[in-house]
Amino acid sequence: MVDETQSQKPRIGVYICHCGTNIAGSIDIKELQEYTLTIPDVVVADEYQYVCSTPGQNMIEEAIKEHNLTALVVAACSPRLHEPTFRRASKEGGMNQFRFEMANIREQNSWVHMHDREGATEKAKDAVRMAVAKARLLEDLHPKSVPVEHAAMVVGAGIAGIQAALDLASSGIKTYLIEKAPTIGGRMSQLDKTFPTLDCSQCILTPKMVDVDRHENIELMTYTEVESVEGYIGNFDVTLRKKANGVLTMEQAEARGFVGGGCNGCGDCEPVCPVIKPNPFEMDMAPRKAIYIYHPQVVPLLYTIDFDSCVKCGLCEEICGDKKAIDLEMQDEFIKVKVGTAVLAVGYELFPIEKKTEWGYKRYDNVITSLEFERLICASGPTGGKVIRPSDGETPKKIGFVLCAGSRDNTGIGKPYCSRFCCMYSLKHAHQIYEKIPDAQSYLFYMDIRSFGKMYEEFYYRIQDEGAKFIRGRVAKIEEDPGTKNLYVITEDTLLGQPVNIEVDLVVLASAVQPTEETDHVRNLFGVSCSGDGWLNEAHPKLNPCGTTTAGVFLAGVCQGPKDIPDAVAQAEGAAAAASIPIHVGEVELEPYFAICNEEKCAGCGMCIDLCPYAALDLVEKEGRTVMEVTEAKCKGCGTCGGFCPGGAIWMQHFSTPQIIAQIDAFLLGGEQ
Amino acid sequence: MSGKTHQYAFFLGCIAPNRYPGIEAAAIKTSKNLGIELLPLKGASCCPAPGAFGSIDLSVWMSMAARNLVLAEQMNMDIALICNGCYKSIWEVNHKLKHHDELRDRVNEVLKEIDMEFKGTIDVRHLAEIIYDENICGVAKLADSVTTPLTGVKIAIHYGCHLLKPRKEREFDAEGVGETENPMWMEELIAALGAEPVQYRQKMQCCGAGGGVRGYDIAHALDITNEKLINMSEVGADAITEVCPFCQLQFDRGQIEIGEKFGVKWAIPVLHFNELLGLAQGMSPQDLALDLHGISCEPFLNKLQ
Amino acid sequence: MAKAKSYSDETLSVRLADRYYRTDDDAPDFLETVEKIGMTIPHMCYQCGTCTGSCPSAPRSSYRIRKFIRRAVLGLEDEALADPDLWLCTTCYSCTDRCPRDIAPTDVIMAMRNLAFLREIVPKNFLNTVQFIYKTGHGVPNNDVNRAARVRLGLEAEPETTAKYPDFIPGIQKILDHYGLKDKADEILAEGQ
Repeated sequence: MVDETQSQKPRIGVYICHCGTNIAGSIDIKELQEYTLTIPDVVVADEYQYVCSTPGQNMIEEAIKEHNLTALVVAACSPRLHEPTFRRASKEGGMNQFRFEMANIREQNSWVHMHDREGATEKAKDAVRMAVAKARLLEDLHPKSVPVEHAAMVVGAGIAGIQAALDLASSGIKTYLIEKAPTIGGRMSQLDKTFPTLDCSQCILTPKMVDVDRHENIELMTYTEVESVEGYIGNFDVTLRKKANGVLTMEQAEARGFVGGGCNGCGDCEPVCPVIKPNPFEMDMAPRKAIYIYHPQVVPLLYTIDFDSCVKCGLCEEICGDKKAIDLEMQDEFIKVKVGTAVLAVGYELFPIEKKTEWGYKRYDNVITSLEFERLICASGPTGGKVIRPSDGETPKKIGFVLCAGSRDNTGIGKPYCSRFCCMYSLKHAHQIYEKIPDAQSYLFYMDIRSFGKMYEEFYYRIQDEGAKFIRGRVAKIEEDPGTKNLYVITEDTLLGQPVNIEVDLVVLASAVQPTEETDHVRNLFGVSCSGDGWLNEAHPKLNPCGTTTAGVFLAGVCQGPKDIPDAVAQAEGAAAAASIPIHVGEVELEPYFAICNEEKCAGCGMCIDLCPYAALDLVEKEGRTVMEVTEAKCKGCGTCGGFCPGGAIWMQHFSTPQIIAQIDAFLLGGEQ
Repeated sequence: MSGKTHQYAFFLGCIAPNRYPGIEAAAIKTSKNLGIELLPLKGASCCPAPGAFGSIDLSVWMSMAARNLVLAEQMNMDIALICNGCYKSIWEVNHKLKHHDELRDRVNEVLKEIDMEFKGTIDVRHLAEIIYDENICGVAKLADSVTTPLTGVKIAIHYGCHLLKPRKEREFDAEGVGETENPMWMEELIAALGAEPVQYRQKMQCCGAGGGVRGYDIAHALDITNEKLINMSEVGADAITEVCPFCQLQFDRGQIEIGEKFGVKWAIPVLHFNELLGLAQGMSPQDLALDLHGISCEPFLNKLQ
Repeated sequence: MAKAKSYSDETLSVRLADRYYRTDDDAPDFLETVEKIGMTIPHMCYQCGTCTGSCPSAPRSSYRIRKFIRRAVLGLEDEALADPDLWLCTTCYSCTDRCPRDIAPTDVIMAMRNLAFLREIVPKNFLNTVQFIYKTGHGVPNNDVNRAARVRLGLEAEPETTAKYPDFIPGIQKILDHYGLKDKADEILAEGQ
């Protein structure tokens, strides 16, 4: 066992990894090893093909014991990959795991200097020397364990959020399911049928919606948004804004003394309301009143008053009568909850395709979007399931489907990515036309047909067999006949090499999808990053698609990137599993990088308090003096306070000033102490 | 809107001064009434024709255009022009040379031989968009300058190609001007003159003359023009207007050529926006040399109330 | 590669000529040169057909801008430069305006035309334009009918261009001569078609 006192002379071991040819291909390992042995306080310097392998780790463990090492340096890949591996090995070897330092000579050296062997080797020598300089000053540190709140939150109650909440709740965790709309169900409840099975969307969704409503572990909060988030993994303090919907639930009514009162969804209020607004659930193709439900199957079955348009005439209150379910003076309510982990499942919206002016959306009556088509063809939609031309209400006999509308677009107007599920739903739409309007002809204008999933290619085969015509050409322009309001879809059939001008009655644009307007705000509250296109960033695209780089926050569904329902559900299950781990374990270990206040030096000036981005610092009274105190669990060790403190009273653990200066000196002075 | 006079070096091009001088005369006179002064740009040449000339050698095209730009730089004055083709050569080369050092250096190597240097100190604008610009003139001021409104006629607007396209290589300040699929700003200008602008199928289609095609395969070019004429006549256009003398030539002479080659008779008068503006501000057909037009403007003039 | 066919009958040779595209058909540097002159990126084309769909010339001829882009990518230099359809582009720029891969197909055509000119493949009318500009500074020079009309309008007979100031013409000629354009144009015109 190694003595913990600082005064002991350092005995540092250095292990240089070949990483196959990844490092050895650009850096002269032998030369590096020989150099390392000349660095003072290095008692052993060895090299190995793959230090992260089992024999490699054993080698380290043995060396710590054999050479009585006070610190260990491994010169290899990025600490993001194997720092945990070598820390564990250090621990096994009997040394405190924070006496381990890694020098990245791969990502930041051999991989970017593949054509400069000499330069790369010199740079590696610098890196090792700097790592040794820090290693001399490393101390024993102990990770802090914090308890994890036995509760989780899921933000967004579309299919992904619903699934995640069900899984979390079923594993015994109290789950808050937050949804900004008055009902759960999201985009999936707007769909008529789902590919490739052609299941009725609501039919397969509503059982899950009912499960959510009835689950004893789920607290469903609709018409609610996240207001603020504080804390850290295991201990998130979330403030929710329960928006005023002006309508009392049965429980709320009881609580106010109205026995047997509260909204029962009877709908008497709606006909008497004088205010008419567009219904976003119906893609604004049908009206709703100021007091409304989106559709008859909403969960919860509760009316909502849109106070932005309500004129407070009181007619709804009057007709509600003894149920006394209306409260026109209701205000937003702020509710604070504490959760251990959170899953974001905040979904998507359609790209405003009118921006691609060549296709005439919002200029031509009979050009609609795919979601508008879904509502038209849905039996519970504004036309009772009849696809009609907006201009005259007639049944279209020739329908053009424009794929990749606004996707795969590098003009700067549309989106550069593929929206993933539009090929499949366009095939589905063609099928629905075939089924409902047997004498109609569907034309699909495409660049590719991406039918990638299980039974998807077979679905494409079926649709082609049903007689849909596929024209391989991205639509250049759509013109409108001023008299008939028919559309002329103009493109090239690239397979024939012939320009085509196809007259159709109705055009459906498979618009690109994009993150919702609110996504950016919500992700900032939880500290989740997004990529340039706005989709939320997963921790690793291959190996960690459900997590984020913020511990305790996970992602599910389209908000992480366009995906179909099977993938959204799969990811939701993955996110729920990952989110449940810290909760079931009950505690989580935090890395001890937190700041420490040296109270003797602290003047109590308080300037550091406001600088802390995590609100981890406070001024406290201790033995008659005002000094700063760190809430360790909140501190992320960013170093802002430590770098700023004018009195040098703040010590950043594992990144202390002496350690950093030693590294700088090691670099600049070339090895002289 | 200021009361001050905005001065520009007037780049003439070829077809306006040498075939339709009425456009030149109208531009100078009507601009004065709008607070815009068009001053002579001494020694300018062909822009050079972007399609006909650029097809041969783009480097020469750039150098020639740069020479014209330097003439204006020497006057320390922005350029105003009245032709889409010239706009492409003059505006685009100005923009390219300002943003690509390598191109500018190459061009200046050539210009050095004639003691000229492109510095990138001036801007280039089309007179139509200058007139639309609220900061200089604007639709209201344009309407105010009208003394003999062109009431009772339907006018089909041909926007042309090189002024607006490609949108990613154009920079217009005023909103809506840069729209390439369904712009409506020229309709506002025509309405301000008192006429009724009409919409027709494929209104943004090319006239067919560009890229040297008028010279290479006249029948092909005329077939494109013919399609436009069909679409314009479908909505009862009494006249065609454009902001490009080359398009004017294609539509004007083109109708005669279509008659000769295809046996299809057309007689829709073709007037450049500046000619229309001239009429609206009280200039006579003689003042505008409308008699030089291939297609007689009489039916249009007679229809004006 | 296997031995070539070499039939004695000319007509049959042509009719049954091997149609395969092979790697030797890829003219080295063609794509690179076209991209350099045109200052655009045809190698990014995914053949969506938006360009041809936007083209005014396509519905009335065999001209397909999309195919020219394909030829650039596959290095089919001879096929591209010798195709008379190369000259049917009106440079309306609709394709460039709409291309989702941000390519300027029109500029690819212009680059190819520049390269064709170097091979002395160019329609006569272009050379005539060069001659006019060399002589007068104008692609469409002034004439007497027009001069008279100008004077009637109160303008000067010659516009303020090289027409009125012919001393600017040598400067223009110097530019054209720097590139040897006039000589090249003369040469091609002398040779005939």
